[in-house]
Amino acid sequence: MKRLVLIIVSLFIVSFAKAQIAIDTLSTEALNNLLIEQVERLAEDGDEDADYEDLLENYIFLSENPVNLNSEETMRLVELHLISVFQYEELQKYRRFYGDFMFLDELEMVEGLDEQTVAIIKPVVCIGKDESKDKITLNKMARYGKHQLVSRYEQVLEQQQGYAPIDDSALLAKPNSRYLGRPQKLQFKYTYNYRNKIRAGFTLEKDAGEMFFTDKVSDTIQKLLGNQYYRGFDFIGFHLYAKDLGIVKAAVLGDYQLAFGQGLTLWSGMSFGKAGAGSSVMKQGRGITPKGSASEYAFMRGAAVTLGAGAFSGTIFYSNRLVDANISVTDTLESEAEFVSSLQETGYHRTIGELQDRHAIRQQIVGGHLTFAIAHFEVGYTAHHTWLSVPLELKPSHYNQFYFQGNQLTNQGLDFKYVKGKYAVFGEVAMSMNYDSTALRPFDGLWAQGPAFAGLVGLTVKPAGYLNFTIMYRDYGKAYQNLYSNAFGEGSRNQGQRGIYLGMEVAPAPYWNLLAYVDQFQFTWLTSQVNAPSRGHDYYLRVSHSFNRRTQAYLQFRSKTKMKNSTDAFVFSHYPIFYTKNAVRFNINYQLGWDIHCANKAEYAHYRNDDGSNEHGYFLCQDIAYKPENKPYSLTFRYAIFDAKDYNARIYAYENDVLYSFSVPALYGKGMRVYLLGKVKLFNALTLYARIGRTIYSDHDEIGSGLTLIEGNHKTDLKVEAIWKL
Amino acid sequence: MKRLLLLITLILSTSSIFAYDIIHPIGGRAAAMGGSSVASQGLWAMQNNPAGMANLDKISLGLYYENHWMLPETAYKCGAFALPTKFGTLGLSFNQFGSSKYNENKFGLAYAKDFGRYLQIGLQLDYLLLKIGNDYGKFNAVTFELGIQSHVTDKLTLGTYIFNPVNFSFEQTLNHEKLPIVFRFGMAYQFTKDFVGQCEIEKNTDLEGVSLRAGLEYEAVKNLYIRAGVQTNPGILSFGVGYGIRFAQINVAAQLHNELGASVQIGMIFSIGK
Repeated sequence: MKRLVLIIVSLFIVSFAKAQIAIDTLSTEALNNLLIEQVERLAEDGDEDADYEDLLENYIFLSENPVNLNSEETMRLVELHLISVFQYEELQKYRRFYGDFMFLDELEMVEGLDEQTVAIIKPVVCIGKDESKDKITLNKMARYGKHQLVSRYEQVLEQQQGYAPIDDSALLAKPNSRYLGRPQKLQFKYTYNYRNKIRAGFTLEKDAGEMFFTDKVSDTIQKLLGNQYYRGFDFIGFHLYAKDLGIVKAAVLGDYQLAFGQGLTLWSGMSFGKAGAGSSVMKQGRGITPKGSASEYAFMRGAAVTLGAGAFSGTIFYSNRLVDANISVTDTLESEAEFVSSLQETGYHRTIGELQDRHAIRQQIVGGHLTFAIAHFEVGYTAHHTWLSVPLELKPSHYNQFYFQGNQLTNQGLDFKYVKGKYAVFGEVAMSMNYDSTALRPFDGLWAQGPAFAGLVGLTVKPAGYLNFTIMYRDYGKAYQNLYSNAFGEGSRNQGQRGIYLGMEVAPAPYWNLLAYVDQFQFTWLTSQVNAPSRGHDYYLRVSHSFNRRTQAYLQFRSKTKMKNSTDAFVFSHYPIFYTKNAVRFNINYQLGWDIHCANKAEYAHYRNDDGSNEHGYFLCQDIAYKPENKPYSLTFRYAIFDAKDYNARIYAYENDVLYSFSVPALYGKGMRVYLLGKVKLFNALTLYARIGRTIYSDHDEIGSGLTLIEGNHKTDLKVEAIWKL
Repeated sequence: MKRLLLLITLILSTSSIFAYDIIHPIGGRAAAMGGSSVASQGLWAMQNNPAGMANLDKISLGLYYENHWMLPETAYKCGAFALPTKFGTLGLSFNQFGSSKYNENKFGLAYAKDFGRYLQIGLQLDYLLLKIGNDYGKFNAVTFELGIQSHVTDKLTLGTYIFNPVNFSFEQTLNHEKLPIVFRFGMAYQFTKDFVGQCEIEKNTDLEGVSLRAGLEYEAVKNLYIRAGVQTNPGILSFGVGYGIRFAQINVAAQLHNELGASVQIGMIFSIGK
């Protein structure tokens, strides 16, 4: 009976809301806005060169391949922080009570799912039968598989110093004064997907300035590069992935990412970390995911498999790939010994110097993960061991003496999670063991070798549907070393850090939402440019309001205080002092009729220098997007002005981009920024995107420095992308 | 009508005796509400955000006078005329700031149109004339202003306005003086039928920082409005009253600056039509 009433009610809602459905169910606007905010926070947290594509790959995949609400796949929404574990429980409870979902609008009746969450997940879920047990045949794979090819070209149109003409002798005298390739960036990505169960793909990429098939590189330079000289794409990757084949829960060959527990022991690739704040402090390891992005650092290349039976599931993996490193040679009495002084993370191979470091050493990792899950409780154990073919020996400095050095590292960790009713408890403890047996180092004996520990524990309480609190404590030992750790923390290193995080999310009134957190942290050892153990805090407050379904606004404050060495020229020894950066942002999204989407943003950033002087940054923009319904084209335009004299008061502003690409430029100086993005669907299978953006400075006539220097007051970027779907 | 045209011609031809300031909010109502005006409608919207005059339903003529800190040299005068037509509202405007020794003039030709309740767009083409006395010369420039407004809900109106978006400048001056870009956006919220709140942010590229403005208006007695507002950078408090009947409106405001003292603004609008 209940069921019947529900269906009638849903039918009523469906017909009643028909006019809105076209907009609300199909629009990923809410999801996009969520991601934009998170990516902006990530950029502010200092990961400026971060490859967002790697991070957002999973969201894009989700938006194109919705998860079935009537299957276990719903867990993916938790993994991607689109719903909380509590909301996941509510979804399951609803299914247990009323049976499978029959209409998407039933989501609005699930307890604990607020309007905003429904708007976010609606476009990425679908309703179907649970097909995870269906047989896969080659015939079906050929018929129902989806193919996609994405080709992208991008370029800065003004000439940068690194591409200026130069003759050979001048280049040989200063080998790193030019890029060897041309300024175009090219990327091709092919993917195949059969019902999210079988996926395959390959990725080819050439960054701006990297050599390609057609580049003419003189013989002398070829000789100088030796076997580092190549023609063609700089990055080539592929993956073959399958899931839910009997006891094989997931298997991958090629490039992949691993994410387990709270990310302290093993979480390759990126994560939102603090940027995700709020309900996403508790992480949900997603196990094996295939990697199709072109990011060239922090991923696995090899094979991995997850087997599951009953309450147990286990993963084993092996990765073997060449990584970039700076190789040096030391002469000892007996022999010559090779070592690397640093691992390069940028993935750029444009100059002779960068090419010499390309794929210089081999990194092998082997490991596994075992999970035991019953009812509300889950516990996992992770272990992995890393080998480098050439030992790492950092240039000795006080701050890096506990960093990983040598050529072998073992990591182990134990993670757990308990979610029931109003409570979620989670945590992870991890241990690293460094087997460094290489030559003498100046700081030997100071615990750089041997075991070190790290741990975190957190609790989320949800006293009522509209309210939740999180408290989390972390303590990462100063000698805890891990090349693939990505747990919650300040900065990018899960090492030498202690902190308490307190967060709160509350809906004080209908259509109002408040998110606040405080993170207080201490660095237990010196860090780069900080000559003593230091401390700091990070305050955040965001108030958002929905005026109606199509008009949302938020106001956000952020204040972060950290220590850094004083730059006072009259001080002999540089000691750390406090620096504070405050930022206030107002953002409003609204729609003009059905077809025109607008947004305004105003941001103010403030930075106090150690001499007491202040830096201010301002940013204002108007976005207009014309997206007519049922039309194969759209246009997006931004007009922005910025005024931030100093780099410290820079402003990060997300920009809409061609599909699968993301940009969050850091704006400083004084000037304006405009861009125009167009999309046209030529026929069903082919969609074209083009974007041209220009930044015009009114306060200087040169942009950038070194090899990226542009003589002139403007910088223009162009991107063209073709997506072919079958 | 003939009279009106005569008056306009007169105003335009005798520009040299008037004076005016560069882009800043015009109108006794805006002045009283801390300068917030980007989401307001009416005749003066022509100067503050031309989109706001899209729904004007009467032929209107406005005159405005402002005296900063009671100095005759900083007088600010403005005249505007708007003609609603079937295909949108047309407008003519003239502004002058300064004295005979130094004055800045702006002549504008405006057009605004509404596309349903959600979207109003306005455009004003400007001819700017800068006169510096003692034979330093006359300099001119051409630019435009753009604005949009949207009544996104029954109560909430949003507006955005940009003056000189492509950064034209006075090429001939000695220092190649640039014209500023002025970018503002904000909202008006109709709390009740007789109570309105407005706020906005403005960035003028010639000035340090941004200016935040907010204002309140209450219809205390029928047709009698009292207003107050605040503005930052420069920090100003403002107050004013307005009285309107069918064919005429008068709005008076006073702005108080802590160091520089008081300024007075007065605006009048005469309208013909239903």
